[in-house]
Amino acid sequence: MSVVQELGLALVVILLGTVLSVYGWHDALPGRANTFLNFDNLIDGIATPMSYYAIMAIGVTLVIITGGIDISVGSIMALSALGTAAALQNMPVNAPASQVLPVAILVPVAIGLACGLVNGGLIVSLSLHPFIVTLGTMSIFRGLANVLPEQKTLPSAGRFLPPAFTTHFMRVEMFGLQPMPLLIMLVCVVIGWFYLRMMVTGRETYAIGGNEEAARFSGLRVGWIKLRTYALAGVAAGVAGMVSVGRFGTASTSTGTGYELTVIAAAVVGGASLIGGRGTAMGALLGTLVIALIENGIIILRLAQEYRLIIIGLAIIIAVSLDRLSAYMRGRSRRSH
Amino acid sequence: MPSFIEFRSITKTFGGVTALKDVTLDIGRGECHGLMGENGAGKSTLGKVLAGIHRPDSGKMSIDGHEHSFHSPRDAQDAGVAMVHQELAFCPELSVAENLCMGQYPRKLGLFLDRAEMARRAEKLLGEIGVTLDVWQPMRELSTAREQLVQIAAAVGVNPRIIVFDEPTSSLAEPDAQRLFALIESLKARGITAIYVSHRMPELFRLCDKISILRDGQYVGTLEKEKMTRDAVIQMMIGRSVEDYFPAHLSRAPREVMLRVSGLTSDRFRNVSFDIRAGEIVGFAGLVGAGRSEVAKAIFGLDPRATGSVELAGKPLPLGSIRAAMRAGVGLVPEDRKRQGCVLGMPCRANISMAMLDRLRRAGMLDRGREKQVASEYFGRLRVKAASLEAPVNSLSGGNQQKVVLAKWLARGGKFLIVDEPTRGVDVGAKAAIHALLDELAGEGLAIMLISSELPEVLNLSSRIFVMRDGEIAGELTRETASQEAVLRLMAGLAEAA
Repeated sequence: MSVVQELGLALVVILLGTVLSVYGWHDALPGRANTFLNFDNLIDGIATPMSYYAIMAIGVTLVIITGGIDISVGSIMALSALGTAAALQNMPVNAPASQVLPVAILVPVAIGLACGLVNGGLIVSLSLHPFIVTLGTMSIFRGLANVLPEQKTLPSAGRFLPPAFTTHFMRVEMFGLQPMPLLIMLVCVVIGWFYLRMMVTGRETYAIGGNEEAARFSGLRVGWIKLRTYALAGVAAGVAGMVSVGRFGTASTSTGTGYELTVIAAAVVGGASLIGGRGTAMGALLGTLVIALIENGIIILRLAQEYRLIIIGLAIIIAVSLDRLSAYMRGRSRRSH
Repeated sequence: MPSFIEFRSITKTFGGVTALKDVTLDIGRGECHGLMGENGAGKSTLGKVLAGIHRPDSGKMSIDGHEHSFHSPRDAQDAGVAMVHQELAFCPELSVAENLCMGQYPRKLGLFLDRAEMARRAEKLLGEIGVTLDVWQPMRELSTAREQLVQIAAAVGVNPRIIVFDEPTSSLAEPDAQRLFALIESLKARGITAIYVSHRMPELFRLCDKISILRDGQYVGTLEKEKMTRDAVIQMMIGRSVEDYFPAHLSRAPREVMLRVSGLTSDRFRNVSFDIRAGEIVGFAGLVGAGRSEVAKAIFGLDPRATGSVELAGKPLPLGSIRAAMRAGVGLVPEDRKRQGCVLGMPCRANISMAMLDRLRRAGMLDRGREKQVASEYFGRLRVKAASLEAPVNSLSGGNQQKVVLAKWLARGGKFLIVDEPTRGVDVGAKAAIHALLDELAGEGLAIMLISSELPEVLNLSSRIFVMRDGEIAGELTRETASQEAVLRLMAGLAEAA
């Protein structure tokens, strides 16, 4: 079932890609590269900016599969980006990678984990609705991001993040490109796929989203499974924060503001059902890619940026309607047999 | 001279299940007419046909000489029929007055809600039936009994000629029930015809001028007031030719005690003690709400407040933990299949393996090969009719869904299985298959607790029967002493253990 969905999304991606490629070929100056289909645009224009969204969309997809929602991921991303910058700016600028990288990775992951545990803990122990809890923590985490750093932007004036993390890791050049955000995103997709598809954890996630009561009556530890899921969504947001601070070399109190909505949109376009029980890691990636292609297409087609939000909004509604339509058609063909 | 209400050859089916079959019945003007029968006999359905909730597939219905075919409760209301439902249907957050005036809110200047007028109307409606209460309290703050009074006020308020009461005392304590009876008497005195659906004999005998009995959706007969006796009613309710299916497990010698429950007590049941041997099916009969399912859930670890002792195979079972119960070898096929039994959107395979995920874990990985092997084994053994092992459970019929739930617990394996209403909403073929399967499992040494509201099912399959009433065990019957009558007597509290 989900494979059909993923194929459908892949088709949409190929379609968008083809249209943009043809336009890009037509649009290119004589003797110059296709304006859409070139590595600089594909990596810097699409893959890198979509990487934070996709990484968080995988985590949020896990939450949505359980029938929950997490709208605090943008704030968690900010908090972990700032935390990472705060930790790294105190290290010597020429510190070696062996010292810098463990800090640069563990700090955002730990911050994301802690935030996710707070979300999951409140939702499970107080039986509160996840929307309300994460609405609250979205505000609290963003507030902490405003209060804790001594300045609105880190590193503070006159300080720098060690290049071992920025220039030589997150912005490392291979064949003249900077593919690290893309690679991290792909690793996250593989982990998400593994978690959902190959491990028992995945089955448990789908089961409580499909019918929490029946899952409990089958001996599944519903509370623990939910806690774990929110914790992972937090970790994913932490990783997104790490990618962001490494790529830009700075983090600010407004990092990731409003990202949660794009992330949820990506998850839903990718086939996750807000009712629970449906969604995949690959879908989250493809859903984000569809949105990223549309964003990139607006630039390639030189459409007025003012129309960006309208086009994205329409795309989300159309994608979800098409998905419902196809589910309805499949349901009908099944019944008629 | 035609009767006030005439049902002529009313037939009603729900997706292949016949609820009413060719029912012909007359009810006189100003009568209080009781409708009796076992669960599923069709008594509520007939009441709902009269109240316009269900449309009959065929047959005619007339009131006061006029033929009616109601398309909605509103149509019935316009013809003077009101209904007091078994399940209460109100908006709990709205006030009594708002609920009573629903659909016809009084307005000021055509726009603003006229609260004073609304309160006046509500108080008048309640006054009609002699009730005074604060009409601005939200509905949810009312006790069940008072909620029911509000519902009756709403029914009486439309000035009906006929009121259908559908099991109105099922959620009432005795003093409140007495008040309700007095109220019905006074309605009768005002010339209102009452149809009273219930399976509680004492109140029917007290209230009704006549009682009609339904069985398996068919009309059996009507008793006049002077001929109403318990024996006569039970005779008419049972009447069916009970197939004497003799389960094979009964011919085996009794084995060791597998489950021993002593002094189990919680909110909904008290001091429940019994034991079940390996290879035995023990039936639990009783009215809905007598505490049978609650006892089952407590044994399965779903009731954190349960106290008392439960032993499984000689070892004490900690209460309040599903996982501990499962580890000890307890399984539960719950009464609400769709809510508690299966994940409808997931394939049969995933549903069957759901209670054994801990055993399919290999270093965190799901052993899909073994999952498929186990699932297809039980899928085949139970002869689940589905497009494939991968078909989502919601594409299956009720009987096959139930087989999937059973397969889930058989796949896990265990020593003691609780089956709660295993054949509710299941077609005849699947029902026989489930019965044969339970018999076979008992033959293999499984101890089975069978909870069912269908007496023939309990009587045919069980080696012993416990009857529960109001949260206590009212009596134990052996296969020799068990009969529908003996069980019904214990259910109604008419006799001590036989």
